[in-house]
Amino acid sequence: MLKYILKRVGLAILILIGVSLIIYCLIRLMPVDFIQNKVNAMNQSNSVPADAVEKLYEMYGLDNSGFMGIVKGYFNWLGALAKLDLGKSFVDYAPVSEVIAKNMGISFAVALIATVFEFMIAIPLGITAATHQYSFRDYLVTVLAMIGISLPSFFFGQMLKNVFALELGWFPSQGTLSGSGSATGLALIPDYLAHMFLPILTVVILSIGPRMRMTRTNMLEVMNSDYIRTARAKGLTETKVIYKHAFRNTLIPLVTTLAGLLPSLFSGAIITEQVFGLDGIGNIALNRMMQGDIPFIMGYNMFLAMLSVLGVLLSDLMYVIVDPRVKLD
Amino acid sequence: MEDRNIPMNEENTEAVLVDAVNEETLTEAPDVEVEKAEAAVTEQLETESEDTEVPLDKNVRLMSPMQMVIRRFFRSKLSIVGLVMIVSLFLFSFFGPLVYTRWGEIELDESGTVSYTPNEIVITNPDGTTTTIYQTTERQEKDNYLAPPSKDHILGTDEQGYDVFTRLMYGGRISLSVSFIAVFVITVLGVILGGIAGYFGGVVDNVIMRICDVLMCLPGIPILLIISTLLEAAQVDAKYRIYWLMIYLTLFSWPGTARLVRGQILSLREQEYMVAAEAMGYSTSRKIFKHLVPNVMPQLIVQMTLSLGSMILYEATLSYLNMGVKAPYAAWGTMINVISTNTDILQNNFNVWGAPGICIVIAVLGFNFIGDGLRDALDPKSRR
Repeated sequence: MLKYILKRVGLAILILIGVSLIIYCLIRLMPVDFIQNKVNAMNQSNSVPADAVEKLYEMYGLDNSGFMGIVKGYFNWLGALAKLDLGKSFVDYAPVSEVIAKNMGISFAVALIATVFEFMIAIPLGITAATHQYSFRDYLVTVLAMIGISLPSFFFGQMLKNVFALELGWFPSQGTLSGSGSATGLALIPDYLAHMFLPILTVVILSIGPRMRMTRTNMLEVMNSDYIRTARAKGLTETKVIYKHAFRNTLIPLVTTLAGLLPSLFSGAIITEQVFGLDGIGNIALNRMMQGDIPFIMGYNMFLAMLSVLGVLLSDLMYVIVDPRVKLD
Repeated sequence: MEDRNIPMNEENTEAVLVDAVNEETLTEAPDVEVEKAEAAVTEQLETESEDTEVPLDKNVRLMSPMQMVIRRFFRSKLSIVGLVMIVSLFLFSFFGPLVYTRWGEIELDESGTVSYTPNEIVITNPDGTTTTIYQTTERQEKDNYLAPPSKDHILGTDEQGYDVFTRLMYGGRISLSVSFIAVFVITVLGVILGGIAGYFGGVVDNVIMRICDVLMCLPGIPILLIISTLLEAAQVDAKYRIYWLMIYLTLFSWPGTARLVRGQILSLREQEYMVAAEAMGYSTSRKIFKHLVPNVMPQLIVQMTLSLGSMILYEATLSYLNMGVKAPYAAWGTMINVISTNTDILQNNFNVWGAPGICIVIAVLGFNFIGDGLRDALDPKSRR
């Protein structure tokens, strides 16, 4: 087991180095020039002396945009990473890891609550659809799940915002906090939740479909197996057959997906956060991307890549743990 | 051997008997034997029931695997619904502008309204009396923007004064053609690289699969945002930018297909008919592309249909973020983009942003229904 994990981690590091190389080259080729924007913003009349501008470029390590400059910049970045330093964000003047950590909370809260609801709704639906295969109920659930998969997040998010925030006024339409200012600590939680409700609803409805279909497919497969026939032949009640014998076996793939999903809870939903103006990590990254904040974009993208590598690894390991038939090679 | 040109599993080349004749008489036996067997059955039938003079081939209809798939596909209502949705969207976007020529894609409705605002100015004269001056301001709005749906504009006009209905059709052209191009390129890349990896194995397989791993870890939207700014810098024509963007997207999206093809080929490679192909001395490319790839086709077709839907979503999202098709040209995502900054339109002009949104949903849903139907129809285990 340990040997296998070590091998996988080694492979993951190789993958991440490949990913970082691609992302770094792309970012350095980006025409958005943070320094130029900054200088322009500092004074309109262009009175910042040219050598000062050059010095700024040098300070930020952007003085050479040729091939060698990019290679050198990449290795500098990699060297800093080896010391667990992601560099400082151009925009915030703070370490990238700090910026990510600061904005991750709200994204994580949205994703976590959404995932809990997703599983709570999708599993029962998937089971009914499977136990009543080809019935009206099955079709209804399948069609609804398909519609959920097919909805573009920005369109559905805006629609919810329009109906529940702007027309009915039940929820705030923008932002993370209403900023009345007086409340602190725990008293802020209702305010946070009110702002998070619509984003969570969007995420839940959009991602119920795949989970539900997975539950249904697995359930169908299990229901056709011999031991279910045996259980029925023994004269067990249908509820017992379904929940005691069948459902426990459909849990295997569900648990492995859940393990694979855990890391992605931290990554933030770019579009949903943009629609609701939520200050999560995704929305922040979108803003920084427009401003050419190279260390932050690098850090954020590597963070995402790391999470997805970790997700695959976790779900593979989980598979071995949950299903005794699976052996590590 | 008869050469079936049908993309199906070899084991699945069986026949369906429409009327009652026991299935064993018609299997994968060579032609001669089938004829013999048929003759035997005919004789049997004739001896058993002499009054029925209908020859056997009238009673029995042989179905090729392809026909079986088509039959099973059309038995599902959802796949028919999906097919209808996609076909009508295609007709709407590609033939619509030829029929409905009232407005063009970037033709402004300049039949604006003239409004007069009366102003009353009261001036107090030095001697205490007052003079009132009446002034009217003529305000002419050249563009007839945000017009409600009417006979002239079926779905009204947007915030610029473009006809929404017309732009819906042109936007559909972009979304549909872009997704088809992207899926085609992804499939070609995936089949070639996955086929090579699966067939040769060893170092080649390892290298290709590690590249897949790296590409699969790249975060999609952020990378495309970066590429989009690069394209902007390269001054690619606004009209064709989305095509370029999707081509770049394919460079990151082929690993899914490649893995599928590789996995299938790894198991197919060990089967007897491949040993036979080896013994016949076929060339490698013939073995891969004529004997292995056609057997991956069922799964591949399903994957392609489903990814058509996801490509439309991708394109719409990019356009919504203002990274894809830019104004004045229309794409469904671009048409929705306006509400990300303008809450007034979000609240009051559903016709402007709702219509393209519904079109996106119909397109994606249609492809998903078809893909799902195909999956069931192509699955040899499902007998329905």
